[in-house]
Amino acid sequence: MSTPAEVWSYRTLIANLAQRDLKARYKKSFLGWTWSLINPAVTLGIYTVVFGVFLKGTAPVAGNGRLTSFALFLFCGLVLWNLVSGVINNSIASFLGAGQLLTRTYFPPEAPMVAGLTTVLIQGALELAILWGFMIVLGNVSWTFLISIPIMLLGACLAFGVGLVLGLGNVRFRDVGYLVGIGLQVAFYATPIVYRLDQVGELAQRVLVFNPLTAFVGGMRATVYELELPTTNEWLMMGGSATASLLIGWWVFGRYAPRVIEEL
Amino acid sequence: MSKIVVDGVSKRFRLQKDRAHSIKELITRRDRDVDADEFWALRDVSLEIPEGSMYALIGHNGSGKSTLLRCVAGIYRPTEGSVSVDGRISTLLELGAGFHPDLTGRENVYMNATILGMSKRQIDGLFDEIVEFAGVEEFIDSPVKIYSSGMYVRLGFSVAVHVDPEILIVDEVIAVGDEAFQRRCFSHLFDLRRNGVTIVVVTHGMGTVQSMCDGAAWLDHGQLVMVGDANEVATAYVQRVNQVEDEGATVTAPSEAGSADSVMLQEPGVHVTGVSFRDGSGAVTRSATFGEPFRIEMHYEVLGEAVRNPTFGCAIHSEGGVYLHGVNTAYKRVDTGMVSGTGVVAYEVDRMALAPGSYRLTLGTTDAHVQKIFDRWEDISLVVRPGAERAGDGLTDLGGHWNLTPDTTSAMPPQLSRSTGGGGGREGSSRWSA
Repeated sequence: MSTPAEVWSYRTLIANLAQRDLKARYKKSFLGWTWSLINPAVTLGIYTVVFGVFLKGTAPVAGNGRLTSFALFLFCGLVLWNLVSGVINNSIASFLGAGQLLTRTYFPPEAPMVAGLTTVLIQGALELAILWGFMIVLGNVSWTFLISIPIMLLGACLAFGVGLVLGLGNVRFRDVGYLVGIGLQVAFYATPIVYRLDQVGELAQRVLVFNPLTAFVGGMRATVYELELPTTNEWLMMGGSATASLLIGWWVFGRYAPRVIEEL
Repeated sequence: MSKIVVDGVSKRFRLQKDRAHSIKELITRRDRDVDADEFWALRDVSLEIPEGSMYALIGHNGSGKSTLLRCVAGIYRPTEGSVSVDGRISTLLELGAGFHPDLTGRENVYMNATILGMSKRQIDGLFDEIVEFAGVEEFIDSPVKIYSSGMYVRLGFSVAVHVDPEILIVDEVIAVGDEAFQRRCFSHLFDLRRNGVTIVVVTHGMGTVQSMCDGAAWLDHGQLVMVGDANEVATAYVQRVNQVEDEGATVTAPSEAGSADSVMLQEPGVHVTGVSFRDGSGAVTRSATFGEPFRIEMHYEVLGEAVRNPTFGCAIHSEGGVYLHGVNTAYKRVDTGMVSGTGVVAYEVDRMALAPGSYRLTLGTTDAHVQKIFDRWEDISLVVRPGAERAGDGLTDLGGHWNLTPDTTSAMPPQLSRSTGGGGGREGSSRWSA
């Protein structure tokens, strides 16, 4: 198992891998970087129309007491969700992509995973900045915005731990790739993103509270939309799930990655 | 001082059932009852590689050479035993590994060099040298997917050898690229070695082993057969390979020795119907051995009337197309007399002077004046294997002897001498004495 310090000593490689991914991603595309914004924008648009307009979804009044916007309320949760699903998907792709390289030269297998995480974090930061931008334009601003940064980072840790394990599993059993697609879809609707927790029944609420992502989305809405701090319960849920996931993921990956690489 | 110590290393691979078909051979060759799911790629291998030496791993395909190389490089963890390595390793297991086809040569150089452990500043300093060595200056800002395979490989090699390693691990990658580049690769490796870099190579070229390496280890089915001086190990290995090959060659029909297409003109004249090679003892062989006697036999058949004093000839080209040798019975004033029916003509060589390597042999028959060509058989593969005598560099070995005379007072002045004048010794500096 590689220690974080060992992985850190390969930071130049990590930076280069991340840079390579970013550069290669939009090579030969006309709109290039704009694509990374078009995608979430379209998703946001669709959800706003379907859940906000057709299904008459409503949002609470924002922290400044004037603003009520279903789209932005939705966007708070979506930014977090895009980060989480992005990290998981990217971890799987990163391990697959680095596999051939890992059989030919030595470097910690965690390095390409961290590089993949970095690219998604950059994308996440961009989306968060846009969310902030809208809020600032609409006059819904507070220092609590800054709290959304650690929330996003904790969310990335939670997803990274899961991604490390799934990345390994995907190489061993190709079913994992398909299961992840389904799992993410279930998780998306099992998290109050396109709806509010108080809109579902009591039983569903009691179940959904155990989904760590509920706390993350709650935290995002609190800090960026309602301009409040997350509740203690939410903090505990976020911190606990992120720590547990990262520790377990890192350990499993460190222990089994060398063996999986040999079998590539 | 040993740079790399391999101590009792064994490596076991688990074979997955769904992958079994691709390594079927490995399974079927082994005893299925024992444990078909396991395969020992290395068994109790111990060796020490001294600092600053060039060390070769030899053996047939699947003998565990590459596995051992990967264990040393840290890519594989040994199942048993340990590998201790003292120094920074650069690996060259596959050239251009990690090149991204959509990125430019420049971007890929930076990428590849960081994988091999260089910092951005170090790469900045070496960048021009890397590109120049690879000879891809014009294309460095084009995506590598438009590169020819040669350019791809050259750039990969260039990056790997410029990273200033303490230990360089090279798999059979240098066998690619054109001759000129290969020579440059080897001379570069040689320079690295002179600068104290420890180099471990996997190679099938015994010429390389004998001429460049200090030590060698011979692996067979994951076990160490022999370890020691490169020359001795290579010679022993070659003897074994030759022996195995010859056992397979005794049943060869004469016409099978040359597998190339023959241009058979069904016209009257002398036609070549088959070729066979024989070694010094007269046994049929598939290849010649450097420094040993060798005989090329041409089986002929005369169609139509008997031919007076026909000419039989042969020519040898290098793989690169260099015309090395051509001879026929007319040059040598051999009277072949009236020839009819069938028969065999042999060209005998007392000492094979072609250096180990692959050559193309052409055989032909003409009339007495070498005007009318009766038959011509081109592109017969002729392989010269290394023998007990070690060949010099280049395509042939003149077989000369060295003689040292320390006392020059009694010796004649040299015929051609270097002028001691101020010209710097470049142009017109040598003169033949009258």
